[in-house]
Amino acid sequence: MKRDLTQALARWISQGRRQIGEVLFLPTDHGFLVHHHLDSPSADLEPHTDPNAARRIAVADASGEFRPIKTTPNLRRGWLLKLPDITALRTALEALYPAMLGSFLSFERGELPGVHLRETVGRQSGMYAITKKVTDNQALAVIARNCNSEHGCLKAHLWQIDPTTPVSSLPASKTDPSIPQLPGSAPFLPLLCAEACNLLVAKFREEIKKTPYTPPPADAAPTAAPPHP
Amino acid sequence: MTPKPHSALIIVGHGSTTNPDSSTPSFEHAESLVRRGLFGDVQCVFWKEEPSMRQALHLVDQDDIYIVPNFISEGYFTRTVIPRELELTGPLTQRAGRTLKYCEPVGNHERMTELLLRRAAEVAPGVDPQKTSLLIVGHGTNLNDNSAFAAKREVDRIAASGIYAQVLSTFMEEEPLIAKWDELTTQPNVVVVPFFISDGLHSYQDIPVLLGIEQEPTAAASQRSVFRDNPRHMRGRTLYYASAVGTEPLFAEVILDQITAFDLAHPALP
Repeated sequence: MKRDLTQALARWISQGRRQIGEVLFLPTDHGFLVHHHLDSPSADLEPHTDPNAARRIAVADASGEFRPIKTTPNLRRGWLLKLPDITALRTALEALYPAMLGSFLSFERGELPGVHLRETVGRQSGMYAITKKVTDNQALAVIARNCNSEHGCLKAHLWQIDPTTPVSSLPASKTDPSIPQLPGSAPFLPLLCAEACNLLVAKFREEIKKTPYTPPPADAAPTAAPPHP
Repeated sequence: MTPKPHSALIIVGHGSTTNPDSSTPSFEHAESLVRRGLFGDVQCVFWKEEPSMRQALHLVDQDDIYIVPNFISEGYFTRTVIPRELELTGPLTQRAGRTLKYCEPVGNHERMTELLLRRAAEVAPGVDPQKTSLLIVGHGTNLNDNSAFAAKREVDRIAASGIYAQVLSTFMEEEPLIAKWDELTTQPNVVVVPFFISDGLHSYQDIPVLLGIEQEPTAAASQRSVFRDNPRHMRGRTLYYASAVGTEPLFAEVILDQITAFDLAHPALP
């Protein structure tokens, strides 16, 4: 069946879904209200009617720091989008949470397979080719630091280290799209991560570069990470 | 261009994990093309930001998809990274009922010369080009990247027009170095145009330090109230520093031109 993301969004709304990440979207008689879930639309919020304003809202956190990952739970508060229709709502939500509506639709259609970490790092080249050498332990530590839902990223993982090695450094709920990563969420649209993003791959590179190589004892089997340049 | 309501356009940019302005021109070109209603959908994807290239096909409903790299030159990204991340097999890829049409990067288009000249004229209004040295500054690198070649090609074209008394290509990381701009130029006025896609890390933060107009990298362009004070009187010259060529709104036209060029090169396609 043909993809129609706007129609899918209408269906999700009719199912009662009202939240994505830290954002609430509420149908009204005049369209939709969109705001941070910790704000009340009756509060003194900065109003916008252009759905493209959402991209500028999502650029930086409350302290002005750039947000390269939009699913980091640090979306700033204090704004209100008043949108006329579902097309504008789709534009705004795609700006606040890039590719997340489309990823959920693909997931529903069985078209969003998880890509395990070994495959992701295995195809890297150039300055990231070194990430092929990341050990499971290094990967688990870096993932725990950067992907945790408390401070890192609100997406649910659809991938593992490899087909038989789960990401044991994160709670099991991190891999279940039916569980909200933000406690207390209203009925929600899940944020889905089909594979390690480039920012995480870059963190593996940093980790490998900073870890001094220790050669294994002469009589031991070579199980440690291979040397890196 | 004839409207393509059943096609999607995906603009591919580099993006940045640290600079909010790196992706801005791609988004602004996309917004301007959305307003014109030429495509069923227009989206951006990035290497270092979201949405990522790997998410590209989840963004659009259409089965006919034009992919235009918003890159200044052909090289490692356009030949290796983008095809790999988007799983392209060539200019034309058929996959799961979808047709992916991989166009040339914007920087390859012959209109770059016109846009560089436009930027140079805008930043120094009323300044006599015959008393002006025009410096096109590119990255320059030892990577598999043709940015230096592309900058030199543009300089050759501008020089052939005879508009400016002197035209030079300069680079951040290879000779002739932009840091030596005063030694390289012969004219009282010096106009510097960054041959970059955005006012990001390199063109807004690094090159001003190399020129000597800033002592250290400033905050990002979008985080400052004043873009640039032009002109600067320094080293016995009058120096004008332009915004990156890629921030020119006419870049959106070049994106369309690359799609037209793709269609001309592949006439048998629907």
